[in-house]
Amino acid sequence: MGMKEKLSIVGKGVPVKDAASKVTGSLRYAVDMGIHRMAFGKILRSPHPHARVKSIDTSRAEALPGVITVLTHHDTPRNNWEAAWFNYRGNVLDGIARFVGDEVAAVAAESEDIAERALELIDINWEILPHVFDIEEAAKPDAPQIREEGNVRPPFLVEWGDISQGEAESDFVVDCDIKFPSQQYAPLGRNASIAEWDNDKVTLWTSSQTPSEVKDGVHEALDIPQSKIRVQALPCGSSFGIWWSNNFMMVTVLLARKAGRAVKIELNNEECMATVKRRHEERARGRMGCTKDGKLTFLDMNHMIDNGAYGFKDDVGYASLELWNGIGNARCQITGVNTNRVTAGCFRGVGDCTMSVALERMADQLAEKAGLDPIQFRTKNQISAGDEFNSMKQYAEELRQEMNGDPLDFVAPELHHKWPKLFHLSSGSSLPMLDDGAARFRWNEKFKGWGIPSSIQGAKHRAVGVGTGSHTCGVETEGNSSAVVRLNPDGSARVFVSAGRQGQGSETTQAQVAAEALGLSLDMVEAELGDTDSAPWGHGSIASNTMYRAGWATREAALDARQQVLELAARDCFDGIDPESLDIVEGVVGLKDNPASGKTVTISEVLNLFRSDAMGQMSSITGRNKDPMPPTLAYSRQFATHFVEVEVDTETGQIKILDYLALQDSGTVVNPQILKNQVIGGAICGLGYALYEELKLSPETGEALNANLLDYKLLRTADFPAHAEVVFHESYDPVGPYGARGAGESPMAAAIPAVVQAVYNATGVWVDMPMSPENVMRALGKV
Amino acid sequence: MTKLTVNNKKYEVSGSSARTLASVLRNDLGLTGTKVSCAEGECGSCTVLLDGQPVTSCLVLVDQAEGRKIETIESLGRPDQLHPIQQAFIDEQGFQCGACTPGFIIAAKAFLAENPNPTEDEASIAMSGNICRCGAHPYIVRAVLNAAEKMRGL
Repeated sequence: MGMKEKLSIVGKGVPVKDAASKVTGSLRYAVDMGIHRMAFGKILRSPHPHARVKSIDTSRAEALPGVITVLTHHDTPRNNWEAAWFNYRGNVLDGIARFVGDEVAAVAAESEDIAERALELIDINWEILPHVFDIEEAAKPDAPQIREEGNVRPPFLVEWGDISQGEAESDFVVDCDIKFPSQQYAPLGRNASIAEWDNDKVTLWTSSQTPSEVKDGVHEALDIPQSKIRVQALPCGSSFGIWWSNNFMMVTVLLARKAGRAVKIELNNEECMATVKRRHEERARGRMGCTKDGKLTFLDMNHMIDNGAYGFKDDVGYASLELWNGIGNARCQITGVNTNRVTAGCFRGVGDCTMSVALERMADQLAEKAGLDPIQFRTKNQISAGDEFNSMKQYAEELRQEMNGDPLDFVAPELHHKWPKLFHLSSGSSLPMLDDGAARFRWNEKFKGWGIPSSIQGAKHRAVGVGTGSHTCGVETEGNSSAVVRLNPDGSARVFVSAGRQGQGSETTQAQVAAEALGLSLDMVEAELGDTDSAPWGHGSIASNTMYRAGWATREAALDARQQVLELAARDCFDGIDPESLDIVEGVVGLKDNPASGKTVTISEVLNLFRSDAMGQMSSITGRNKDPMPPTLAYSRQFATHFVEVEVDTETGQIKILDYLALQDSGTVVNPQILKNQVIGGAICGLGYALYEELKLSPETGEALNANLLDYKLLRTADFPAHAEVVFHESYDPVGPYGARGAGESPMAAAIPAVVQAVYNATGVWVDMPMSPENVMRALGKV
Repeated sequence: MTKLTVNNKKYEVSGSSARTLASVLRNDLGLTGTKVSCAEGECGSCTVLLDGQPVTSCLVLVDQAEGRKIETIESLGRPDQLHPIQQAFIDEQGFQCGACTPGFIIAAKAFLAENPNPTEDEASIAMSGNICRCGAHPYIVRAVLNAAEKMRGL
């Protein structure tokens, strides 16, 4: 399997293809779009956390000049629609409000101002229902039930070994009870959606990471054939999971149908931050033990996550568990709970950036007891390439029983050599990065021992910390991604693959993968990611799918197109030579072993040869991925190892980031410029969550109290060192395109425990998140 | 009717004089390079130059801008003829999603006009008036330093 091949385009740090559009402001997001005779929609939102619409009177609103129509739950189908990964489940409108800000009705009017005034003219007679905001309260059997499915479903459980045996073998045991606040995506750039119907067919323009999932959502909500729905997913502002498929998009589709006009709904900043999604509020309770030489013996975790009103997730954070594969015996139970608060869902590093804090903090406390430094302790207990996943033993066994055989029995024998060993880590790990990073960061000089600052100047304590993180490289459980690569008559190519454009450069990296496979220059390849009429179904840019799974499909489709070119060229231009002896370099087909001599023919000539031949089949070529992709959850992960130096002012509680080193193993680096940005971006988003960020949810009403960029604090340029360094470890992946894996989420999971540990070393106390000055002073016992 | 001079072109816009400059630029003049995120002057996405000074156009009423020189991102360069600051943001990849980028570039232009030879710290502090959620922070600072170098060489 995987050998590192000679690459010409993959690995190049070329600027993203839309760079000039971004720096000139000409890139169009959904908010920048408009279409002919478009009406403007606004959404009426609930003032109550839980209430039923007894009656709704829209006559005064409809009488307002300029109002086209009002949409209520009486106009909407009673179908549930679901977003990817259970991030939303519900009707579009059903006459029940489940949080303050929930959608109740919508107005279409000739202007946004008129629509907004009309909202105030809608009269509702509410029946107030009992509400619940607290996770623990909501999980009790007698709690007010928010969903017909109940607030709580059976917990998600991962176990291996026997924790009581592990506990008996333990010399040291620690515990944790950590409450994680909700983090808000705080998206820069807003979102809008525009829907236009043509008789019974609808087109929806919106900014989304998941074009196919938006189409699925419309299909489910309206119960119309997928063939009648076209989604044109446009680039997003910063998204990190907020802009997948969202209910306001479905409201727009229904409002436009009722209005008989194209309708645009643009969300304002508060709507973006208070009514769409947020990170789950979580509570991690656990115990962990180790022997006196630092071997982890057991883990017992009980993790609760708050799904808000419409989220349904309960399976977060297992990559963090898998990272600590050396734990002898484990039991981790995760319970998702609904509350009368804004929906919670997947946000960059979901689960892994909270679970990693719980696990690493306990591991650090054990390391201190065992007298080991954090690098030694991680090295003793974390996973290495080739190791069997302890967490998957049970799943693997269940799968074998369910399938009545090994999964590989269902794969054509000629493909077996392309498959990695399932339920074993195929490539990468944190261990070499811990060593390399320690040397680069001069860890042994800077780390003075647990809870001991490296220097003290007055009230200012400096110290270092290290953290590790992991995450999936995409998931297959909701469907497989496909791609189409079309060669045009001039020999250029276009890639069609469903993914997002939220700043991670996928239009560029997918094109790099295809160009490499086809033997074309990058300038000859463009990728269309957002149009569901041309791109086949794909999971979209979620769960770090895009390079690993979408990129895999893109490469397979490009190789298929290449093979078709070679077969045509071999037959008609090279006297029936074996196509395997041909190669394509910069769009020119020639002999592989002797490109300089002998005949050459361009792709364009191959295609035009047939166009000019009345008997020819085609003047373009379409490549597809044909083989099944191995289930990535069963073998592939991304790894991040971060080192940070902080200065904590023990008189003010202020924390300053002085130095930062991020190491990343995402396999082959397709574009180092893009990946560097992803890694540092993840670190900054993680540090923001660790230091400042908390969406305050009212204990009285459940509503978001700081849903604006003024009160919700984010790290600014001066809060992070501009000299921060990124180092790549490129463990070749046997399946990913050219050995690449996923990338964007593990950095968050490493950054947070790293800074939490550094603050401990600076102050001698473990501080809860966010480590705001107030919380630091409280932990120090000074307030 | 409000008379505006935007990017050296004269415009007359109708409607309420209490509308924000950001709204008029985007909706009436189609200059959507000026982005709006927070609409309360905090994030800097909508930064434009008013008589050479950076302002958050979401907080400027259109009649306050009458008769003054307004410069938006569209005045800097075109894709085939980029301004050195725009080129520097590409060279250092000082952006990801791009929603904050026009605001940062306009803020950088105003900053470099005042301080053509900034230190890393000065650039880092100067850019802290704008918000980048993608976390391109180090690369934004490096882009400003790179731009300063490019512009000093001109």
